[in-house]
Amino acid sequence: MILQMNHLPRKTSAASAEDVVATLQSLLEEGHLEPEQFANLYVHLDWIQYRHNFREAVTVVPIADEKTGRIPLFEVHVDLRQAAPSCLRTEMLKAMTPANPGFGQHPAENDEGMPLEEFGPFRRSIVWRFNHLYWQRLAEWEGSTGHGYEEALPGGRSDANHPQAVADGVADFWTLARDLEIKKQLPPELFVLEIGVGMGTRAGLWLDRFQKLDRERGTNYYARVRFLLGDYSPATLERSKAAVAGHREQCSFVVMDALNPMQTLSFLRHKVLHIHMTNVYDNLPDEELARRDGRLFLVEARAYLPAAEAERIATEFEVPGRDLRRCIERLLDEGPGHFGDRARGVEFWRQVWAAMRLKERMVCVDDLPAEALPGELNLNRLEEALREAPSDLRFHVNSGAMESFRNTLPLLSTRGYLQVQDIFVTRWSEYRLRYHGPGKLDGSVVNWVNGALLRETAERTGFDVHFAPFRYREGSHTSILFTTQRE
Amino acid sequence: MTLPILPTSVVGSYSMPGWLERLKTEYFARRISRHDLEEIHDNAVKAAIKDQEAAGVDVITDGEMRRDNMMDYFLERLAGVQIDRSSKKFYYDFYNSSVEGKLPMVPLGLATDFRFLKSFTEREAKFCVTGPHALTKRIHNEFYPSEEALATDLARALNLELKELVKAGARIIQIDEPYYSGFPDDLDWAVKVLNTLVEGVDAKMVVHICYGNRYGKPSWEGSYRYLFPRILDAKVHQLTLEFARRGGEDLDLFREFKPPFELGVGVIDVKTQAVETPDMVADRVRKALEFVPAERVTVLPDCGCFHLPRDIAFAKLSAMVEGTRLVRKELGC
Repeated sequence: MILQMNHLPRKTSAASAEDVVATLQSLLEEGHLEPEQFANLYVHLDWIQYRHNFREAVTVVPIADEKTGRIPLFEVHVDLRQAAPSCLRTEMLKAMTPANPGFGQHPAENDEGMPLEEFGPFRRSIVWRFNHLYWQRLAEWEGSTGHGYEEALPGGRSDANHPQAVADGVADFWTLARDLEIKKQLPPELFVLEIGVGMGTRAGLWLDRFQKLDRERGTNYYARVRFLLGDYSPATLERSKAAVAGHREQCSFVVMDALNPMQTLSFLRHKVLHIHMTNVYDNLPDEELARRDGRLFLVEARAYLPAAEAERIATEFEVPGRDLRRCIERLLDEGPGHFGDRARGVEFWRQVWAAMRLKERMVCVDDLPAEALPGELNLNRLEEALREAPSDLRFHVNSGAMESFRNTLPLLSTRGYLQVQDIFVTRWSEYRLRYHGPGKLDGSVVNWVNGALLRETAERTGFDVHFAPFRYREGSHTSILFTTQRE
Repeated sequence: MTLPILPTSVVGSYSMPGWLERLKTEYFARRISRHDLEEIHDNAVKAAIKDQEAAGVDVITDGEMRRDNMMDYFLERLAGVQIDRSSKKFYYDFYNSSVEGKLPMVPLGLATDFRFLKSFTEREAKFCVTGPHALTKRIHNEFYPSEEALATDLARALNLELKELVKAGARIIQIDEPYYSGFPDDLDWAVKVLNTLVEGVDAKMVVHICYGNRYGKPSWEGSYRYLFPRILDAKVHQLTLEFARRGGEDLDLFREFKPPFELGVGVIDVKTQAVETPDMVADRVRKALEFVPAERVTVLPDCGCFHLPRDIAFAKLSAMVEGTRLVRKELGC
């Protein structure tokens, strides 16, 4: 058995690693686990920092692998923050039963819940439709909760808008413009792009600061600035206009998909001097891979509502149990208005989202059709990248972030740079230090971003990637990614 | 071989297949042998030759399939240049290299590769050599008093190689100097060094100057105006420049300065996968003919096709050939 303590021990835990091992040992002795299963067991102990997430206290992840023997194999994932020692045994038996039909547990303990989809790559999960709904109907959600989405962020505000961080960013950009001018390479228009502008606060701060600096230094660069505010939500873009009202001549508002900025802005290929994104990558479709004993597995996911929660929601909203899934589909297709009473529709949405959990299973990538894997995932290159990684590892592929990254870099001019503020795993070995998502942040999904893989991708397209800690907020997990041209 | 008016050519590299990239990297990881890699290179060169012929290109190259990038093929063959073989992670990375003493004057042994090209084609063949200015920018100089001094000795060594290539039958040799555009202040000495390189070489000498194509991206921006008038002292027969991606504004420099050499006009943008139509190519050629007479113009892509997928590279070269034929027809040729 391999015990992976995927958290820092000083965290307050309900249960301890000793409790988990002792419980598993007793299950083995009582015959609930085969010796071969026990010997191959991979136990993952997390401390999930997101109060709202997709996990039960104990989760069992079956391993679908044609090359393994007759005994079903699985992994056990325990959230030590939730799992109380007194319930550990019950929770484990409950979680293991579906993966190990031989147990013959009481039906009530065999809780498959109400599936909302079939198993598949997480990037295709219904979870992302909820995420999309949230951003498209943000005002309705905020109206219902009574707080803005930034208040749900750690620190209660977006790291994008930290005045000193913005000022430092502006100073960097001014220095670049100055250097270009000295080399007689200053273009007539200085294109700056922010993708995912939120309320437009950062864009406003940036332009205020740049205008001031430009005036102080008498360089007349401000007039050349063409600031593009990009977001995939027209409503969000509309709201952002107020924040940059003093800079209308400089600003353009572009509805765009962060996954493919080139699609919208191909006319700016090799022309943009600076691109900024904050907390965009952590909210793009993702999936995870796990390497076990030298083989790669795709972690497939299926969203479900626990049976008791499904029943409770159906009763509260007077939806026949058999119609609940259809009602959720209508919510995603039409929005909360389909309830007639919009406020009640939002409440339904919030409760379904809060109750939603993810089941997982692992499928060996060798047994999967090519379309199950992210289109751009190059397994040969991944294997090369993983040479520097620990041997047993579960990690993000961040297909959405990778797609966005690849489709953003071609916009950069020769001296241009991309700056991304987000929660990055900058070294492979960090995957063993803590839980890295997914979690829920209000009505959206939050996931850490595999910076080590981004670095590898960038190197092959002519950029070096560097990470610096976000030093402007104490205790922040944010890092700043920035690119330089690779020789 | 007699070439048609407005001959078509390539700048050097052809599309580098993904499978060959992997195999080259496998070689650096010591998972395949040098012998196997050379056999793979031979086959890749034959395929590149065939594609250029099928596309109808008049003056072809070996596609530079044997080269990891524009530097290392030369640096690892230049006697006296120290290579750190552990410095390369991916085949396309540059080696770290240094010069710690005076370079011995010995040829590099590239003629074998040219002979291989010639033995598999009836077309006119061109061999491309990275110039001393560009090589100097990649070598850590621990011996020579200046970049110019290092570049001059590199030019002398390469000059011996060019003469070996001529002995092997090379009639057109292209010198690649993309770093001129990044270091325009070097041009005074860079042109002198270029003339040292080509001195006494009995072949048509072409110099290609672009704005970089590393990873399929431009390395610099600007105007070719920086070349003039100093480039007029270069003892070469043709100047090959990029005009497709950047537009044809700088063509006017050829009217303003009336250079003594021919113009190689870039009509294919190699930094985008969008395939030009023959009409677009024809328009670009016609534009060039407003400034330079047809008998002094060669038609090429802006730079090497290295970063383009094979089908795109082939389609672009085919469009280039077809577009050029349209203009030839208009000229009655």
